[in-house]
Amino acid sequence: MSARKGVIDPAKTDTQDMFIGWAKAPVVDRRFLLGALPLGLIGAGGASWLVASELEDPGAGAWLTSATHKVTGALVNAPYPMLLVSDPAAPFGMRTVLIAAQGKCNSALKFADKEGLPVEASGVLIERKDRRMLEVPSFLDEWLTPVLIDMPGSVVMPDTVSLGPAHLAGTVMDSKCFFGVMRPGRGKTHKACASLCIRGGIPPSFWVRTKDGRESVLLMTDAQGGPIPMDILPLVADPVEAQGEIVRVGDMLQFRADANAYIRI
Amino acid sequence: MGHQYKAIQWNGNKIVYDLYLFAFVAIFIGVFMFVGLQTHASGHSADPVVLAIRALGTAAFSLLTIILAIGPLARMNKRFLTLLYNRRHLGVVTFLVASAHFGLALFWYHSSGPLNPFVSLFVSNPLYDSIPGFPFETLGFAAFLIMMAMAVTSHDFWLNNLSAPVWKALHMLVYPAYALLVMHIVLGALMTEKSMTYPIMTAATFVGVSSLHLIAGLREWGADSGMKQLKEKGWVDVCAPDDIAEKRAVITPLPKGDRVAIFRYDGKISAVTNACRHQNGPLGEGRVIDGCITCPWHGWQYRPDDGISPPPFTEKISTYNVRIEEGRVLLDPKPNKPGTRVEPALIPGAGVVS
Repeated sequence: MSARKGVIDPAKTDTQDMFIGWAKAPVVDRRFLLGALPLGLIGAGGASWLVASELEDPGAGAWLTSATHKVTGALVNAPYPMLLVSDPAAPFGMRTVLIAAQGKCNSALKFADKEGLPVEASGVLIERKDRRMLEVPSFLDEWLTPVLIDMPGSVVMPDTVSLGPAHLAGTVMDSKCFFGVMRPGRGKTHKACASLCIRGGIPPSFWVRTKDGRESVLLMTDAQGGPIPMDILPLVADPVEAQGEIVRVGDMLQFRADANAYIRI
Repeated sequence: MGHQYKAIQWNGNKIVYDLYLFAFVAIFIGVFMFVGLQTHASGHSADPVVLAIRALGTAAFSLLTIILAIGPLARMNKRFLTLLYNRRHLGVVTFLVASAHFGLALFWYHSSGPLNPFVSLFVSNPLYDSIPGFPFETLGFAAFLIMMAMAVTSHDFWLNNLSAPVWKALHMLVYPAYALLVMHIVLGALMTEKSMTYPIMTAATFVGVSSLHLIAGLREWGADSGMKQLKEKGWVDVCAPDDIAEKRAVITPLPKGDRVAIFRYDGKISAVTNACRHQNGPLGEGRVIDGCITCPWHGWQYRPDDGISPPPFTEKISTYNVRIEEGRVLLDPKPNKPGTRVEPALIPGAGVVS
């Protein structure tokens, strides 16, 4: 008969009681919810489990915040703040410990008057394999104490040995996050943070992986061994390649190349 | 309804809804953190803050996906009206979870540096001219601002004061916000993570939500298309009175795109606009309960003969003139001013209940 074309009759398909928010739910809706709600919770847990279990390996590194560490060594300000620590058991008889202030601003570190002197620095260690960084509370004077110890000249003034020119491909990282403050401290989701850290003076590292999966981390400097300029910032966290020179200073490998030598791959 | 404003007009269903919502979010984030904090096979473990940022972001996106799916699902199956009701609490909770994600990411990635965190958000990744390198954070921030505007104006106070069309237009921005979030994920997490699970899941949710809207839209379009060809002027012949179930309505689209709900109740016929004054809910899919047309979405009520909510409420909707001639229900397609009383058409032979 007779409803004209286009007329919708909801009653044809919906013969059950109607759910009204302010009234008691009809039996049909309560039955629906009894089935749907547990399924929803299982779905939430399942989807969450799936997403979390597929996350990338966060990478090596540790931020040892549970204790304060004291490191004694010669204080160096260039190209980046660091402590040169005597360690006869280590290769080359020393270890380089980079220094970072809390947060992302190394400009807060001021110790030019102690350049080259032996000091004891207190802070939190950040470790990634054989790389170390000491995060110090730069707003306190007590983090840095001059000490009277004799240090070998090879530690205070380590040899600079050129290992030759090299064309490397890798990723520009901020050493602090990459060494272990953030895990993962790499990838595009970390690009802005890494860029901000390097802008704030945190030493940049060049993370190079060989074809057989081994990784090498080199401290980045300009071609003369000075701090790399901020022109590098747009390339941070992206795959890049560059022609430069590998130099060993004490136990630490540096990659010396000007910022304009880096090309995004 | 709108006679007075309370922060939340609680009832049993809302309490159950919110408790369930809390459990849902807690399970989602709890499972994510528990699984994510397990030591990786390589012996490496994730940073809890980075993990929390990801858990909150994933939860917020999942909740928004559910929000967008509920609407078309409720059009296709009335059981989903149980989830549609109180959806604004779901929206506000989604915004709170998104806020936690945004706040934590801003703190962890952009604070304590040489730039203001909000400046860093826009300049730390300067690759605006690159699609794969594009700063995905800005897309998430834009979506966050939209969600904030929606959450802040979600209360009926704003619905009444902004006017329904403005409020509705503002809340339709949820679709651009969702698109921005999809791009936020595609150009962010998906550029970092290697597992194919993520692109598959993201595509599945996006295609799922789009498909549901498409199916629901096609159904409506199919229903409307019959009336688009209507050329006749004057009164529209809709159906016979017996084509309308008691206490129910049929919905007829009009040539200009409006829809009218024609209700049969107590031996009478009355017609009102199909759009609820509250959130444009489909009144014609509702029922006459306690003598009032009751919206299926949130239970707002109107008297059939004048379109006015029963006291103490004051909302008004448009009414339409109807009459019955030669066994047919005829409708005047010209709407009356909201709240105009129209004498119901009496169904011949039906006992009128006063």
